[in-house]
Amino acid sequence: MKKTVLIITMSAFFSLAYLLAGNIALEAAKPAESKGAAARRESCVTCHSDFAPVLPKGHPAAAGKDIGACTTCHQPDVSGKAAPNAFSARLHRDHEGKTDCALCHTWVHDKSFGLMGQKLSWGKPSKEDMDLLKKVSVSWATSTYIDAEHGKKNVTCMGCHGKVLPVEGDSVENSRCLDCHGPMDQLANKSEPKDFKDRNPHKSHLGDIACTVCHKSHTESNVYCLGCHRTFQMKIPGGPKQ
Amino acid sequence: MKKRERKGESGHDLKATESTMISTLVSRRSVLKGAIGLGVLASTGGLAMNLASPGSAGAAVRQLPKKWGEVIDVVIIGSGFAGLAAAAMAEGQGAKVVILEKMPTYGGNSIINGGAMNSWDDEYHLRKKLNLGDDSWELFKQDTLKGGDFYNYPELVEIMVKNAPDALDWLMDEGGVKVRNTLPRMGGHSAYRTFMAVEGVGRGITEPLKRIAEKRGAKIRLGTQVSWIWRKDADSPVLGVEVIKNKKKSNIKIERALVLASGGFSRDVKMRMTFNPSLVPEYNCTNQPGATGEMIRYAQAIGAEAIQLAFIQLYPCAEPETGVLDTPAVYPYTGTGYGLIYVNKTGKRFVSELERRDVVSNTQIKSGSKPTYSIFSEQIIQKLAVPKEEIEKGMAKGRIWKTDTIGELAGKLGIPADALQETIKRHNEFIEGGKDLDFNKPITKNMLPIVNGPFYAIAQWPSIHHCMGGLRINTSAQVIDIWGKTIPRLYAAGEVCGGVQGSNRLGGNATTDCVVFGRIAGTNAGKEKPVA
Repeated sequence: MKKTVLIITMSAFFSLAYLLAGNIALEAAKPAESKGAAARRESCVTCHSDFAPVLPKGHPAAAGKDIGACTTCHQPDVSGKAAPNAFSARLHRDHEGKTDCALCHTWVHDKSFGLMGQKLSWGKPSKEDMDLLKKVSVSWATSTYIDAEHGKKNVTCMGCHGKVLPVEGDSVENSRCLDCHGPMDQLANKSEPKDFKDRNPHKSHLGDIACTVCHKSHTESNVYCLGCHRTFQMKIPGGPKQ
Repeated sequence: MKKRERKGESGHDLKATESTMISTLVSRRSVLKGAIGLGVLASTGGLAMNLASPGSAGAAVRQLPKKWGEVIDVVIIGSGFAGLAAAAMAEGQGAKVVILEKMPTYGGNSIINGGAMNSWDDEYHLRKKLNLGDDSWELFKQDTLKGGDFYNYPELVEIMVKNAPDALDWLMDEGGVKVRNTLPRMGGHSAYRTFMAVEGVGRGITEPLKRIAEKRGAKIRLGTQVSWIWRKDADSPVLGVEVIKNKKKSNIKIERALVLASGGFSRDVKMRMTFNPSLVPEYNCTNQPGATGEMIRYAQAIGAEAIQLAFIQLYPCAEPETGVLDTPAVYPYTGTGYGLIYVNKTGKRFVSELERRDVVSNTQIKSGSKPTYSIFSEQIIQKLAVPKEEIEKGMAKGRIWKTDTIGELAGKLGIPADALQETIKRHNEFIEGGKDLDFNKPITKNMLPIVNGPFYAIAQWPSIHHCMGGLRINTSAQVIDIWGKTIPRLYAAGEVCGGVQGSNRLGGNATTDCVVFGRIAGTNAGKEKPVA
C-alpha cells in the first residue's frame, strides 16, 4: 500500500517538475525544441484522451493533442474588445488553478506572452507579473468578487483590460466599464433607490468618479459612500458578506 | 520676565529649564542639518535626533534619492479649494503643475463643505442690493480676530480679509461660480457677509476651480500618496517628494516649489487627541476620511514649525447620528441672522444663536440631552433662498420636520408644547423690543419673528469639524521653520496651516482662507526660478 502511495507521489512530483522545467526552459529556449514545447505538444491528451465529453452539446468533433485542436477554429482574440469570449472564458475557467499556464501558453520573461503555434503576444509580463497573473486568474475563476462574476459571463482578462495583459496597479477606465454597463444615465436609473432618489451611488455628489473607487475586481468591493454616510443601507456586488 | 522667575508646576526653575532647552535646540539644529543629508552623518557624528518615522526602513538614515523618477515644476499636495486655487495660479505663472491627491476622488473636505464663503464685498455688491447694512475689511478682520480669541496672526488675517473680494470675483468671473440671492449673517460675524454657492455645497466652488486649473494645464493624480518630503539639510530648499501609487514608491524632483494644501487632521483620532485629549473617539466628525494630517508630520520632519494644534473646532449643527454636515445641517447655521432659534429637549433656548461655534457646541453638550433643535418658519427659508426641492428632500429623509402649528412641531420632536410656544413667543418679543433678555443676542432688523406657519425643525449636534492649528506660514504663504526662517521652495495654504483662524474659526472663513492663500501660494510657487 505504502509503495503505491510512494509511486503516485513520486510520479506526481516528477510530472510537476517536468512542467516546471518547461517553464524555466522557455527562458533559455535555444535548442530546436524545448522541454516545455514538447510538453505542450501533448498537453491536452494527457488528460483528455477523448474531447467529446468536454465539448458543448452539438460541437463538431475535435481532433489533436494540444491547444491547436481548438485554435484551428477558435482563433485567439487579439482585438482587445470589451466583449465576452465564451470559448476562452470556458477553457480558462475549467483549467485555472488546476493546470499550469505553460501547457498552452508561451512566455518569455519581459518579452512576450503568447499561445503555442501562434505568433501573437499579449504584452511583456515579467516574472512578478506572471505570478500576479496566475493568482488573479484563479481569483477570476473562483472568487466571490466581481472578477468571478465577469468570468461566469464569459468576460476574460482582455474584456476589461484590453489588448495587453495588465501589470500590478493597472486599473480599468470608466469608458471600458460603460462599454457593457453603460450609458451612465441608464446605470444611474437602475441604481436609483426607491425611498431616497438622491442617495444614488451612480449620481454621487462627488461628481464624476472612477467606477473602481467602489467596484474592485480582484478584491472586495466597497461602497465609498459609507465612509461618511455610515447609516445608509447600501449593498454592492462582490462586497462584504452581510 | 516675571514669568521666567516663576516656579514651574513640577517645581523646576523655569529659567534653568529654558536655558537647557536652548542648548538642546542648538545641538538639535546641528544634527538636523546633517541628519536629513546624504550620508553626511558619518562625518558629523552624534546621531541624537532621528526625524524619519520610527521603524521604517529609512529610520536610521534617509538617503536622498540617487535617481528621480520624474521632474515637475510645481507639486501641490491636496485637491481641495487651496490646492486647486494654487494649481490654477502656478500654471498662470507658466509652471507645469501636478496635484497629488491620496484619495480616489478629488476635492477633499472642500467638495463636501457647506458652499459658504465670506467676503465684505463683491463686484455685484450683493450686500448693498439686499439692503443688509455695512461691512468693511477692517470689520471682517476684527470679527475674525475676536472669534479666534486673538490667537490669530493679525498679518495673516489681514491678507485673508483684504483679498477676499478679489478671490470671490475671480471665482465668479473665471470659474463661473453662481451665488444665491441671500447673504446670511452667521455666528461671530457682525455683518451679513456669507456668500452661498447655488448648489448649496462646496462642489459649487471646487468644480469651477478644477475647471480653471485643468484648463490652464494642471493635472490631478488621484490615489497618489506622498510619503516623504526631500530636503538635504536645514538650509536647503525642498528638493522633491516621495510618492506611493498602487503600493509602488517613486520620487519626484521639484523644479520650482512644493505647495502643501493637504487639509487638517480631524479624522485622525490619535493625532487630534495628542493635541486635545478631550476629543475622544466617541465624537462624530464632519470630515472626509482622508483628513488625517500626515503632511503636517512630514513637514515637521524637515524642520517646519507647526502651531496651535490644540485648537480643533466642533461644528455645532451636524446630523446627530453620524455627524455628517449634510445640506439640512447648513440651515441651522445660516438661518441665525434671520431669527432661527435653537432649543433643547425641554423646549427652551440655551445660547445666543449668534454665538461662535465653540460656544454653541459647548452649551449643547452641557445642556444635558442629545440632540438639540433649530426652529424656524417658512419666511426664514425664503430669506435663505433655499430651493423648495431641497427642503422636500430633507423632509423625505426625516431630517426636516414641517407642521402647520407649533404644537404639532413640539409633538413631532417629543418636547413640551407649552414650553416651545412660550420660548417662541418670548423670542418674538425680544425681536420686537430689539433686546435678547435671556442670552443677549444682538438683535437686528433683519431678524423675523416666528409667527406664521408652516413651522420647521431640524435636529442638530456637534461634530468635529476643523483644525485651526497647523503649519506656520508668512504672508507670502511660505512655510516657516522652527528657527523662524522660511523653508526655501515650500509653501502651504488652507487648513494645513495654523494662525489664520486663531482658537476658533468663524463659519464661512475656511473657503476664503483656502482660496486667498491658495492663490498666493500658487502664484509664488510658480514664480520660483527653476532649479539650475
